[in-house]
Amino acid sequence: MSRNLGRTLAAVALAAAIYGSTLAARAQTVVTVGIGTQNTTTNTVTAGTIIRQLKLLEKYLPKDGKYANLKFEFEWNNFTSGPPVTNGMMANKLQFGMMGDYPLVVNGFTFQSNPESKSRLIAVAAYNRFGSGNGLVVHKDSPYFELSDLKGKLVSVPFGSAAHGMVLKAMQDRGWPPDYFQLVSQSPEVGSTNLQEKKIDGHADFVPFAELLPFRGFARKIFDGVETNLPTWHGVVVRTDFAEKYPEVVVAYIKALIAANEWFRADPKLASEKIQEWTGINKEVVYIFLGPGGNMTTDPTIKPFLIDAAAQDVKVLQNLGRMKEFDVTKWVDDRYVRKAFAELKLDYEAQLASTANYEVKGEDKFCNKPIVEPHKAGEVWVDEAGIEPLSSAACTLAAYSSLKAKGKKINVAYVFDSARGIKLFADQAYYAVASDKTAIAPFLLKKDAEDYAAKNGGRVLSFDDALKVALSGG
Amino acid sequence: MDSAARKLTETVAPSPATENPLSAPEPVPAQLKTGWVWRWLALHRSQLRTLAIGAVSLALFLLAWHLLTKYRVTAHVRFVNVPSPEMVFDSLTRVARDNKFLSHVFLSCRRIFIGFAIAATVAVPLGLVMGRFRLVREIVFPVSEVLRPIPAIAWVPMSIMLWPSNEESIIFITYLGSFFPILLNTLHGIAMVDPVLIRAAQCLGAREASIFRDVYFPATLPHVFTGLTVGMGVAWVSLIAAEMISGQFGIGYFTWEAYSLVQYADIALGMICIGVLGLGSSALIRGLGRVVMPWAKT
Repeated sequence: MSRNLGRTLAAVALAAAIYGSTLAARAQTVVTVGIGTQNTTTNTVTAGTIIRQLKLLEKYLPKDGKYANLKFEFEWNNFTSGPPVTNGMMANKLQFGMMGDYPLVVNGFTFQSNPESKSRLIAVAAYNRFGSGNGLVVHKDSPYFELSDLKGKLVSVPFGSAAHGMVLKAMQDRGWPPDYFQLVSQSPEVGSTNLQEKKIDGHADFVPFAELLPFRGFARKIFDGVETNLPTWHGVVVRTDFAEKYPEVVVAYIKALIAANEWFRADPKLASEKIQEWTGINKEVVYIFLGPGGNMTTDPTIKPFLIDAAAQDVKVLQNLGRMKEFDVTKWVDDRYVRKAFAELKLDYEAQLASTANYEVKGEDKFCNKPIVEPHKAGEVWVDEAGIEPLSSAACTLAAYSSLKAKGKKINVAYVFDSARGIKLFADQAYYAVASDKTAIAPFLLKKDAEDYAAKNGGRVLSFDDALKVALSGG
Repeated sequence: MDSAARKLTETVAPSPATENPLSAPEPVPAQLKTGWVWRWLALHRSQLRTLAIGAVSLALFLLAWHLLTKYRVTAHVRFVNVPSPEMVFDSLTRVARDNKFLSHVFLSCRRIFIGFAIAATVAVPLGLVMGRFRLVREIVFPVSEVLRPIPAIAWVPMSIMLWPSNEESIIFITYLGSFFPILLNTLHGIAMVDPVLIRAAQCLGAREASIFRDVYFPATLPHVFTGLTVGMGVAWVSLIAAEMISGQFGIGYFTWEAYSLVQYADIALGMICIGVLGLGSSALIRGLGRVVMPWAKT
């Protein structure tokens, strides 16, 4: 017994000695880094969820020099909108945060009065150059097909969000008075339930709700942000006190963001499935945003037109009396993203100038044609089998019917809007079919389809009718 | 002291012509007047004391808030970005200029009043019946105990689906908030009734109805009023969650909207406003309690 005790004591002493010596060699200080993510806001996943789940940040963290004795611990906090992220950053609980354009400028502005730290925009997560991503949906049984149908009706939108900006811009473009709609503020959770219960006539929201609610089957999108022609985007902000102390960590974060973008594009189907697993947003909805030819382009470079859009946002907020002076250009800090590009041996200037997204490509096995015009193409997602690229809307519909006839389970099919180039769920689109049934042009808006049909001598069909035509024609 | 003196002036001399009771020009002997004042003072001494101490404590609170935010104190708890009382006052003067803020306040009060009134008219009789009849208690109690801990914010989506209009959804949430404290306190009140009183009444030939009316009800009233006061407080607590639904009006919505635009001064203003309204409504209930049960000390 006593021998045993002696042995144990010796072992403990030895262990303590070893521990002590390693401790002396590397007296590690733990630095906790808070990162505020928006897991459900699909276009920030490459800046948040993916980095977290694949542990990309750990991979790029600096490990030598002053970092040899530092240990970083990451706290990932998930929110459903931007303002709580700003709140957490102001309280220094979060050092990094990601959010949409409007909350971003509110973030920068709010930090102006913080004596400890400011916030800086360090990278872009994803953008749509023409404003798609935000959208306005109505209940699928409602008689509203375009924005003007909602005159005097009750429309809700989360105030201070990118979607709010879209609604204001759309009203401004049309010269409508501020009381054209009865505009009320509702968070996505509240607005979605209200729309389902038909308590409101329309709900405008940011990514992914304008696609998610139609996908879930009770809503129809009648306005896409693309009509405002004002870019919409999500970005990453950081506290300056943190960034100045650990600039290499900020650079590492951007490298991880670039790696996350590459990971998604390497296998969009698998990535969408993983994101569904991690965030609960349906993979088909993730894919419409981030898949090939999707409505969001992931690109960390801070493009001038995005900054101009942010300056526009500031003006809108000032007109509403929600903001005083705020200089957007001083708030942008592209040193870190440039450094990350340089260290990864990537060309920042070339990427900055490019607005290219990756596109649907490959061979159309149904019509036996290569895909040459990606924004006239389509895709069919066959359950378990995979995503088939198709060369045209007509081929997509024909392939859809034929696969279905073979007893295959189809998750979803995508086509592109013929007028605006945005990706659509095929079953939600309107189809202008030429009288000789050769050409089929999909549209988001009934009105666009009708205009096109009137011009080209055809008629407008719903998805089900268009399927029949495609099959008989093909 | 200052406020006490002012109050005294108002009570003694309601007309502006006789501002100072000590130099009143009337032929009434000054002796009598000051005697009046002293008598009133002596009568209301304890209330005046409460009032004075309350005013001092509030002033100290404001001062502490002012100093903590002015020097941006950081002692584990951080006041770096907490809005100062001046900023909140600025917000107040800004919003006080338009009627919108007043309509926010008015609508919230109306919602609270309706929700609370329904809760009181349902919970008090239900509590009495539950306390008196064991079977009813056995049926209702488990359900109410399951529903009671659910926070107001969790009720938001259900409430939207349950009720045809938003206003009803909001009132439902404030109703839920106040319902359970009132019910539980009423139940507790019934349990506390001295069985000797019941037996005495029965010996004197009282029927169930009159036992209920003349023994149970008055004996339970103090507890009912405690329940009402607590319930009123919880109704205000539920307000922000409830008014998230409206998306347009109400002081809870005002606070919520300020949060979504990260305007800290407005958030604080909304919080204080809810606090003051809550205080006022609790005072109203206590006042009502005093009128209804002059025998009880509340």
